Amino acid sequence: MEKVVLMHEKIVDIIVGESKEVNKKLKNKISVELREAAPLFGENGILDSIALVTLLVAVEQSVEDEFDFPVILADEKAMSQKNSPYQSIGALAQYVGSLLKE
Amino acid sequence: MRIEELQQRLEQYSEIEAIIHKHQLFSYRDLLRLTESWFQRLAQNKIEPGTVVAVTSDYSADAIALMAALILNKNIAVPLTPLAKTQFNEYFKTSYTQSIIDLTQTTFRISDRKNDPLQNDLLRNLIEQQHPGLILFTSGSTGQAKAVVHDFEKLLTKFTHANKGYRSLVFLMFDHIAGIDSYFYSLYSGGTMIFPVSRLPKEICGLIEKHRVEVLPASPTFLNLLLLSGEHLRHDLDSLKIITFGSERAPQSLLKRLKNNFPQVRLVQKYGLTELGSPSSKSMEADASWLKIDSPRFKTKIINKRLHIKSDAAMLGYLNAPDPFTGDGWFDTGDTVEVKGEYLRILGRESEIINVGGEKVFPVEVEEVIQMMPGVEDVVVSGVPYPITGQIVKASVQLETKETLSEFRQRMRDFCEEKLPRFKIPQKVTLAKDSLHGDRFKKMRG
Repeated sequence: MEKVVLMHEKIVDIIVGESKEVNKKLKNKISVELREAAPLFGENGILDSIALVTLLVAVEQSVEDEFDFPVILADEKAMSQKNSPYQSIGALAQYVGSLLKE
Repeated sequence: MRIEELQQRLEQYSEIEAIIHKHQLFSYRDLLRLTESWFQRLAQNKIEPGTVVAVTSDYSADAIALMAALILNKNIAVPLTPLAKTQFNEYFKTSYTQSIIDLTQTTFRISDRKNDPLQNDLLRNLIEQQHPGLILFTSGSTGQAKAVVHDFEKLLTKFTHANKGYRSLVFLMFDHIAGIDSYFYSLYSGGTMIFPVSRLPKEICGLIEKHRVEVLPASPTFLNLLLLSGEHLRHDLDSLKIITFGSERAPQSLLKRLKNNFPQVRLVQKYGLTELGSPSSKSMEADASWLKIDSPRFKTKIINKRLHIKSDAAMLGYLNAPDPFTGDGWFDTGDTVEVKGEYLRILGRESEIINVGGEKVFPVEVEEVIQMMPGVEDVVVSGVPYPITGQIVKASVQLETKETLSEFRQRMRDFCEEKLPRFKIPQKVTLAKDSLHGDRFKKMRG
């Protein structure tokens, strides 16, 4: 259990880190200080599609670097989830975690 | 123009140096003798006028003489370099090749295939009119290569006025329209061709120095490699007068570096297509990426930013694809261009445009920016499919630095920030270990 929590924290760190990077180019910035609660895309979301894609690709790459396991964050599966993994940093972290556990 | 003029020109230039290859010198008289001996060999091997003959070879005096002999014998020539070896069988079949002359061996080999060019309307017309023909393959990076048929007589007409014989390094491929244009221009104008054995910057610079080369036709990718190698600083290249480049658009940053390194050289951007040949063109003095098509035999018009060309030197058609010409003879080049007065700037091929969520990105404009970053040896930008935006921009980068991928990605984003709109900054980056250009020194996208 502890391991899973640690992994989740690690993933949140990665997404927060990449969000800070993406923020540099954004007028409406991701509220990285909210960490998991920070809205990304969709309802309350502040990202447009290009910012979202930039973030997703960056997270994909970092997750692969960190866990040595490739993940795809934008595919049919991700987009057909009941709760969109793109709505917040927390939701995205959870989705990444679920892919890594598979 | 009568093809006999080719022979007359070779006779007229007699003592002038025609070809230098592997330290061997061939005068025009030597070349004419070689041509005659090939002409006889064709007859001995019962290769009659109208036969489709593939020539597999890289540059050599024999290869040039054989091409000339095939024209005089009114054959349909299919030049192929060994680089295309894996496709040879497909090419032979598509082009209705009946005889294959392989010059890549030290001894030449003639083999026969049972094909019948009379089955194809374009080839049958050529044969009935007793005109020599030329079949070339488009080096399309995607999909099937198209077989382009030219009437060789029509194609050569544009050289009737060729009169400035330069000493040029023949760099472009033997089976590429730009290569064919450069060697026939040289033959018609009494120029001297220097053939390289490899295409390494060191060898090329060595040949320029040794043989006092005046014209270097190359590709932007090769010129970039040349500058990076530093070989131009270790050789005396003062003889160079003109550098031409085509086949892909040269990035601004490269043009600037060329100008700084070769202040005495005129930079000329060429434009050419396998289907149309390359018209003579002039480059804008201040910025060589702008060119003016300067040939009475090529008419241009622009529709929806796309360049259309009409020319009587154009191909007859494709052997394996529908006729692309409009009823009144215009050809849609598929190239998007900017226009400034009489000058054009090629932005890129429609098929290479990356569409990121409805926004258009030309690979070249992104490559230009990334190429300016210190430590970047080479870069190729392409589109990769990605849900949400349809495509994203991917940059494959070859680095001189020891940065990790994430270090470089961060630096690249910071560097691009002021220079590119957000959607054009590559979302995906990969570091390439191997060279990013093909054997033909052209960037490989996708």
